[in-house]
Amino acid sequence: MAAKQAIQVGTKIVKPVLSTNHAEARLRVLSLYKAWYRQIPYIVKEFDIPKSENQCREKLKELFMTNKDVTDIRVIDLLVIKGQMELQESVNMWKQKGHIMAYFKPTEEPKPKGFLSKFFNSNE
Amino acid sequence: MFQVIRRAASLPKTHLLKSAPAFSTCPVRFDNDVYNRKEAPKIDNETVLSLPEEARHNAALESTITVPAKVDLTPISGVPPEHIKSRRVRIYQPAKNAMQSGTNNINHWEMEFDNRQRWENPLMGWTSSGDPLSNMKVQFRNPEEAIEHCEKNGWCWYIDTPKIEKPMKPKSYGVNFSWNRRTRVSTK
Repeated sequence: MAAKQAIQVGTKIVKPVLSTNHAEARLRVLSLYKAWYRQIPYIVKEFDIPKSENQCREKLKELFMTNKDVTDIRVIDLLVIKGQMELQESVNMWKQKGHIMAYFKPTEEPKPKGFLSKFFNSNE
Repeated sequence: MFQVIRRAASLPKTHLLKSAPAFSTCPVRFDNDVYNRKEAPKIDNETVLSLPEEARHNAALESTITVPAKVDLTPISGVPPEHIKSRRVRIYQPAKNAMQSGTNNINHWEMEFDNRQRWENPLMGWTSSGDPLSNMKVQFRNPEEAIEHCEKNGWCWYIDTPKIEKPMKPKSYGVNFSWNRRTRVSTK
């Protein structure tokens, strides 16, 4: 009954998605980051979001840094592809204001910290 | 391909080449044997016309890379992080229907998630849940596949092993009358 984790060690040989080595994948990530960084002023202006350019840059860095520990080249490539798609959506205005603001999670309530607030919030 | 052509060009034009037989007596047919070729090897147009960068990219896609055996799809699966770290998956074999149904539909393993909060709709009395994974039941052929799926998605799992079936005791009518089992209930 005890929960356990299967231990998988070693490597395996697979087909690449885009990049063949880490340096290439890193280049793709950096170029995607730069493309987003350069698009931020236009995003702030065109979508008319209540955020400054600096706040957007911080958010961009935060979103990229959430995946900083990914080591699998294929996963990095897929993340780059997804980021590229989102960038295209915001450049072509296929996204709307709400989609951009969703990155900032405006409706998410902060998690309760103290004992009492945790107790009042718990429904179980 | 180019290597074949280059090798053919570098072959010495000796009388040995001229005296090569017009047909082969060997039962094995070698595809890259120069003597069997009647025309230059065909190269498709896309390979010839592609830019060097494209050609390099296509060649890279044909190659293979080495990645760690443990695959972690949590960054790209799109599942919210609170549903990855805090969920526990039960891997089990579905139970047999208690009625007279057959057993051919239970020869697989399933996974399901732990239960989350449910509440009753105050207006209609319907039962609601905010859990996106509450109804996700995936079927697998064996528990190893289920474990691999959970590992890929970063879920904590446990295997709910079925209870060991009791060995069936054969019943016999004669045991009711045995002399040493104390099964006789009548006065005689």
